[in-house]
Amino acid sequence: MPLDLPALDGAQLAVLNNRFEGIARKMANTLLRAGRSGVLNRARDFSACIVTADNQLLAAAESLPIHVLSGPDLMAAAMQQFHPQLRKGDAFLHNSPYHGCSHPADHSILVPVIDDEGIHRFTVVAKAHQADIGNSIPTTYHGTARDVYEEGALIFPAVKVQQDYLTNNDIVRMCEMRIRVPEQWKGDFLAMIGAARIGEREVLALGREIGWNQLETFKTRWLDYSEERMADAISKLPSGTRIATSTHDAIAGTPEQGVQIKAQVAVLADEKKIIIDLRDNIDALPCGLNLSEACARTSALIGVFNSIEHTVPKNAGAFRRVDVRLRENCVAGIPRHPTSCSAATTNIADRVCAATQAAIAELAEGFGMAEVGAGLSPASGVVSGVDPRTGKVFINQLFLGATGGGATAHNDAWLTYLHAGNGGLCFIDSIELDELCQPIWVRSRRLLPDTEGAGRLRGASSLEVEFGPVNCAVDVAFVSDGMLNGPKGVRGGETGGCSRQYRRNRDGTLVEVEQVNVLHLHNGETLVSITSGGGGYGKPSERDRALVRHDIAEGWITPERAKSVYGL
Amino acid sequence: MRLACDTGGTFTDLIVEDDHGNLNMFKASTTPQDPVLGVINAVELAAEAAGLALADYLASVDTFIHGTTHAINAVITGNTARTAFLTTQGHPDVLVLREGGRQEPFNFTVKYPEPYIPKALTFEVPERIGADGGILRPLDEEAVITICQQINEQGVAAVAVCLLWSVANPIHERRVAELIERCCPGVVYTLSHALNPTIREFRRASAAAIDASLKPLMGSYLGSLSTRLNNAGFNGRLLVLTSQGGMIDADEIAQSPIRAINSGPSLAPIAGRYFGQNAMSGADIIVADTGGTTYDVSLVRGGRIPLTRDAWIGAPFQGHLTGFPSVDVQSVGAGGGSIAQVDSGGLLQVGPQSAGAVPGPVCYGRGGTQPTLSDACVALGYVDPDYFLGGTMPLDKNAARRAIEEKVADPLGMSIEDAAAAIVTLATENMVQAIADITVNQGIDPQQAVLIGGGGAAGLNSIFIARRLSIPRLVIPEVGAALSAAGALMSELAADYRAVEFMTTADFDSDRANRILNGLKEKADVFLAEVGEGTFEPKMQFSVEARYEQQVWEIEVPLPVAAFNSEADINGLVESMHQTHERIFAFRDEQSAVEIIGWSVRASCRVHKRIIGRMRAHVKEAERAATRKVWFPVSGAAEASVLVFAQLEINKRYSGPAMVESPFSTVVIDPESIFWRLQDGSLVIDTQIKGDAACP
Repeated sequence: MPLDLPALDGAQLAVLNNRFEGIARKMANTLLRAGRSGVLNRARDFSACIVTADNQLLAAAESLPIHVLSGPDLMAAAMQQFHPQLRKGDAFLHNSPYHGCSHPADHSILVPVIDDEGIHRFTVVAKAHQADIGNSIPTTYHGTARDVYEEGALIFPAVKVQQDYLTNNDIVRMCEMRIRVPEQWKGDFLAMIGAARIGEREVLALGREIGWNQLETFKTRWLDYSEERMADAISKLPSGTRIATSTHDAIAGTPEQGVQIKAQVAVLADEKKIIIDLRDNIDALPCGLNLSEACARTSALIGVFNSIEHTVPKNAGAFRRVDVRLRENCVAGIPRHPTSCSAATTNIADRVCAATQAAIAELAEGFGMAEVGAGLSPASGVVSGVDPRTGKVFINQLFLGATGGGATAHNDAWLTYLHAGNGGLCFIDSIELDELCQPIWVRSRRLLPDTEGAGRLRGASSLEVEFGPVNCAVDVAFVSDGMLNGPKGVRGGETGGCSRQYRRNRDGTLVEVEQVNVLHLHNGETLVSITSGGGGYGKPSERDRALVRHDIAEGWITPERAKSVYGL
Repeated sequence: MRLACDTGGTFTDLIVEDDHGNLNMFKASTTPQDPVLGVINAVELAAEAAGLALADYLASVDTFIHGTTHAINAVITGNTARTAFLTTQGHPDVLVLREGGRQEPFNFTVKYPEPYIPKALTFEVPERIGADGGILRPLDEEAVITICQQINEQGVAAVAVCLLWSVANPIHERRVAELIERCCPGVVYTLSHALNPTIREFRRASAAAIDASLKPLMGSYLGSLSTRLNNAGFNGRLLVLTSQGGMIDADEIAQSPIRAINSGPSLAPIAGRYFGQNAMSGADIIVADTGGTTYDVSLVRGGRIPLTRDAWIGAPFQGHLTGFPSVDVQSVGAGGGSIAQVDSGGLLQVGPQSAGAVPGPVCYGRGGTQPTLSDACVALGYVDPDYFLGGTMPLDKNAARRAIEEKVADPLGMSIEDAAAAIVTLATENMVQAIADITVNQGIDPQQAVLIGGGGAAGLNSIFIARRLSIPRLVIPEVGAALSAAGALMSELAADYRAVEFMTTADFDSDRANRILNGLKEKADVFLAEVGEGTFEPKMQFSVEARYEQQVWEIEVPLPVAAFNSEADINGLVESMHQTHERIFAFRDEQSAVEIIGWSVRASCRVHKRIIGRMRAHVKEAERAATRKVWFPVSGAAEASVLVFAQLEINKRYSGPAMVESPFSTVVIDPESIFWRLQDGSLVIDTQIKGDAACP
């Protein structure tokens, strides 16, 4: 760093960080409020962040964890590699998991912020999960796709969609010819462009007001500060190495025993570093579960940040203290084209988080987190069909509810956590709104007693949701996990409830259905989805007796379970 | 004579307007154990100032307008009635699951919130209405009677009823109500479709639960207030303020107490609208109220005050969502009591922790040891330690300086003044972000807006906030220290009526639309007929909650017509949607049809001819020094003139640096600003000239 840069004190640092975070938040607010698809609006499956010109994550709005920790940095690097001459007014569409995007469903808009002298200063990134991306089947999570060709997603490796602030409508038309319910995609595309342009405008204004040199200094100082905070947090852990595993259920394209994910976590408290080695995992599989590089890195980082003091800033400075070791062509590593990464943000990613945070929990009392319930159950499935009320085709992801929170050393689980990559940010659909927007009805939605991950602090209970079509047939696509491998507890905590899915026939009988599926439901049939609970932390016998009694009174557990498991 | 009284967390503010339009302001301590006492105490202060006995004084009061935090405090402390929740069978966990959502995805020190009504008091009612209003499963009345027996056995005092699609067909909720009345004498209840007609069952359920749980408490509180005021000699009209920014008769509030839940902050924009329009006609208005622990921001957009259903009691996703339309107020944990500290990495932080009223800032000398924003303002010379609250409460400037030195200046390696300026700058930045959030969400450009500074501490850093956001004009009303109470004096009698009916402009049914609007109009007519004598300027404003196809969140769109008589009327609605959407989200989607999911009318009328009078000049203003040494961020030390607010001449141009003081506040004016006083008594500061103080 040049010595002639102006100095910044701890107060100015705080103010400028506030400014950058404010810009990211303004982008996120714009995206949330103007977006169209349910997955964007309701699951908050979007993100907004600012990356430095040398491709380091600087500041993110409160965003879906799996989106932003690593990914925007890799995407910005790909943008620079493919387009060495960045110009003011450029914008790039990016969803390539081979070039830094999380998975193809996460369309991203990157806008390089170019100052008045033509110097590239920052890159702003707006990313949003789309309702449809032109896959071969009506879902953005094609769990069993043998490769990207069977998956069918259109891939955009940092493709220029705007020049001089004008959209290249060729690309828009290509998308419109391929993506289901194209106006919904177009709406989200416009919202993303709008959000990125707001970010660009605000960063430019900040640079003019404060001076670009001052912002350079800030970047260096802020990342150093964040690194120092991370080092401080890591030094509170005991040194040691643990290997923990977490297993994804077997589906088509996986080994029969499922996909065991192994994370070797080494805490070097003296060096204030954490090493997470994911290289000892199987090769990429002929299915859609493989991780992108972004998701492999990020899921390990989520496991770390779930486990330590929460006030450490999440940016490239803090990441310097975490060494995530990956290898090419690994199911949880760096994929080679044409490996499919269709469901990279959820299933295996959740297993990487689980193994990482469980290893830390086993290493250090008071830290870490139990396993989070896995997979995308039918209650979070993608429904499609023709709405008999309007005659129009519809497709949308439902968020009828997921629990899944794992217990931590601090508290019982955050109940509505959804999955590790979401962190609980997801909204849960109103039943009335879902019944209005799609030709479906929801017969019931209730928490199931005795499905919590028992422990000193308890994991989430399972949720049961039953729904079906109204005066039509619908397809429901889902990639469920956790039927065989429930969310394990840590430090003596127990496993939470497993997932299940059934079809209820017209005569009321229940039939278990495949967990990765595009299920065709006829009129009069319903689908019963039982979501995974979450694992417990610490021994159930150590749970505060008053809390056990409260759990009985509130129906979380039965008196029988209180006796047999908690010893009340 | 009319009185407006706003019971806050710390102080009970009273504004009196006599029959000649003279205003007077009084503050008494709030008495949480018996809040009515604080109200009476404040009135006694006023009576004393007028040299009258309380009874004689109250006898001359025709209107008593009351805003209270009693309801919201009861919710926060859990001090509400034992309440049961009745829900459609199969859906017992509406209040547990809520709408999901969370802040800070990595912060596990925050507990998942308990439901507003425990699962143990939740009962599933066998019945189901469909989305089209059809009965999918008839109501099992025997089962309801059994539930009623359990309610009686469990000592429940109130019941919230929220059944799925009761807004499409309320027949089951109504029948449940009849059965409760028959089987549970003395138990009060709230029906979700009647209280809060909206789709999204959680929002109806939450509103009904909060409302029902407050009924016993608010009924007796308002009864007690009314009785004690009457016993003390009052025989005028008692009105209560609502979180929709209006007021209604006290007995009506007792029927649906949720309406009063956040009335204090909701009245600030009413006052802000009046003063803002006087200062810069036609501009959008940002209204900020600085308290001890929070900074509340609300807006006036195109003369209208936006409402939101995303109204939380407590922190978002941790507290309780009322789901009930309220004035949109953004609140952040930043205020005079915000604590400044330096973390292990050498970063300065201000708030959200607050020293509160006890122990309070270090300068109060009540045992506080951590430096706060107030201490920084004392250290910088903004607050005269000998003239705080008109000199009634001396402040310890040296203690404030020492705390800043030890906790901030030394760790950061800077002077006390620089450290104090840094605290002010960072607190300012936190407040700026609150304004940025709400303005982006409501589509307002701060550079075209005017900022109203309310609250006793507003004057201390509002100039810096205005500069930072390039807000051209800052207004400090002379009643700014009690902005909500002033808003109360200006507020109208108002009631909102809503209907839930889905319709799209792709297939618009004018006859059905007119039937819906007519139904609303009839209710509004009844309200306006019953508001009583002396009211005037009755108004009705129709709106719809609308969105583009496939959007999930609705926006409130004003309806240009009260009935659809032609294609042009429908086009008018569509255009109004485009304009509102473009204003908020910066784009319009001409291709999309407009979906309407809710219809509403606001009926309102005025009660007093005069909007608000002028402050009576204080008889005795202490002798003040002509200048004082103060420090500004960046530009440093300056000799600022000290001026008395009440003695500024109307429309005369003054220039900074200056400290404009009144017994309730100091307004800090930086070196480059021009300021003057308006006819309505407000201080206006022009910030068009860029100052260095804007930069960190």
